[in-house]
Amino acid sequence: MRDLPTGPALLALARDVLLNELMPLLPPMAHLEARLVANSMAIAEREAISGAAPAQGILHELEELCGEGSEGEQGFLGRFARDLRAGAFEEGEPRERHAREILWRLTIAKLRDANPRFLNANGFS
Amino acid sequence: MAGTGSPRSEPRVAGTTGEDRRLEALARFLAEASGAARVEITGLTPLRGGAIQENWAVDAYISGGAFAGEQRLVLRTAAPTGVAASLGRIEEFAVLEAAFAAGVTVPEPLWASDNLEIMGKPFFTMRRVEGTAAAHRITRDPALDPALPMIAGRLGRELARIHTIRPPRADLAFLAPHEKVGPAHQIAGFRAYLDGHPTPRPVLEWGIRWLETHIPPPTDPVLCHHDFRTGNYMLDGIALTGILDWEFSGWGDPHEDIGWFCSKGWRFARLDREAGGIADRAPFYYGYEKESGRPVDPRRVFFWEVLASIRWAVIALQQSDRYMIGGERNLDLALTGRRASECELEILMLLDPGGVASGA
Repeated sequence: MRDLPTGPALLALARDVLLNELMPLLPPMAHLEARLVANSMAIAEREAISGAAPAQGILHELEELCGEGSEGEQGFLGRFARDLRAGAFEEGEPRERHAREILWRLTIAKLRDANPRFLNANGFS
Repeated sequence: MAGTGSPRSEPRVAGTTGEDRRLEALARFLAEASGAARVEITGLTPLRGGAIQENWAVDAYISGGAFAGEQRLVLRTAAPTGVAASLGRIEEFAVLEAAFAAGVTVPEPLWASDNLEIMGKPFFTMRRVEGTAAAHRITRDPALDPALPMIAGRLGRELARIHTIRPPRADLAFLAPHEKVGPAHQIAGFRAYLDGHPTPRPVLEWGIRWLETHIPPPTDPVLCHHDFRTGNYMLDGIALTGILDWEFSGWGDPHEDIGWFCSKGWRFARLDREAGGIADRAPFYYGYEKESGRPVDPRRVFFWEVLASIRWAVIALQQSDRYMIGGERNLDLALTGRRASECELEILMLLDPGGVASGA
């Protein structure tokens, strides 16, 4: 429905202009701020590309683990967090392992958007 | 570190603007505190790097008294919004004085004031030390590489000196008793923060639960810097010129500072160098043990390293809150909130090292 270029493509182009054309024109004291702007644009671009699929997959798993009784992303995450605080998964190995798997997936999905370089530096592709 | 030469500018006309009035008030304060006949502020420049406090480079020309001549100072005061856990400036000044007296390499503390008519908020001054605290530069600069193990050892010795300060201390009576700031209280604080945070953080809850079930036996408390890390010390070449930023200091387990220094969140460009991104743990631990005469207990360090990642995650979220809730328009603070997930990855890697394959 939207015209091209896409939002992520515009963000990528704008970031390139900022870093390669505008940055040399900026005084050195503005470089850090410009890099922060570029970093923000990169996060927004990656989030726009990855969309809602990773979160939906994790929510589906949470529903399997925690059962019904919660609604929406905040509801499931909140219940999961409360259960973890209470040690609710510590009694049985399969559920405990499943909970840990979800924690890994949740964290890796967030970092794929927020800081893929950090993921790579820690041995994750 | 007094410099030479004369004032860079002509005397200002007092009372014409708010800034002029502030400079005049500061000059009067410095004159009274230093026993000078007159002080002229020749430069007042904000310094970058203080996410929670404001630091100003102050150049002053002092006429008369023990500090006569050109003086290069730092004035430290609070940012518009801050982190609740940090000390006030007058208290931080007292901690800095205690560290200086204990032989820790710190910028010499000079004068403090809680008179709001000078800078609008409490502040203190200290001598300005040379060098850089830029963590990415320190951890990336290949010219520093050969000296970094030596610097790590020196930092271990400095930390041991900090830990010679022990309660009770009348001059530090404002610090909360150790039993009120130990791990159980920190855990309660983390949970209280998360309870008020709009977004659930399951990994932090999982990590905090681990902490709760693995609290080490109590130990004799010492003064902990509580933010002893790369980025909070100054290097002039390969010379350590000052341990900075004492605003989180308090009584605690000495391993708390060791775990914080070694935690991954403070390794910057060199995640493989476990002691602050500058060296292996061995020279850092060796320096600490040699100065303190006490062995480092790796199990206690591990506990505090897990806690460090959780604490850093909470601080990252609090920094972001300053933008999201406090309205402080600052992109750096806003982006810091995204770093909480980096800490969460480290918590998983520490506590579930075999879980990578199944979770990735």
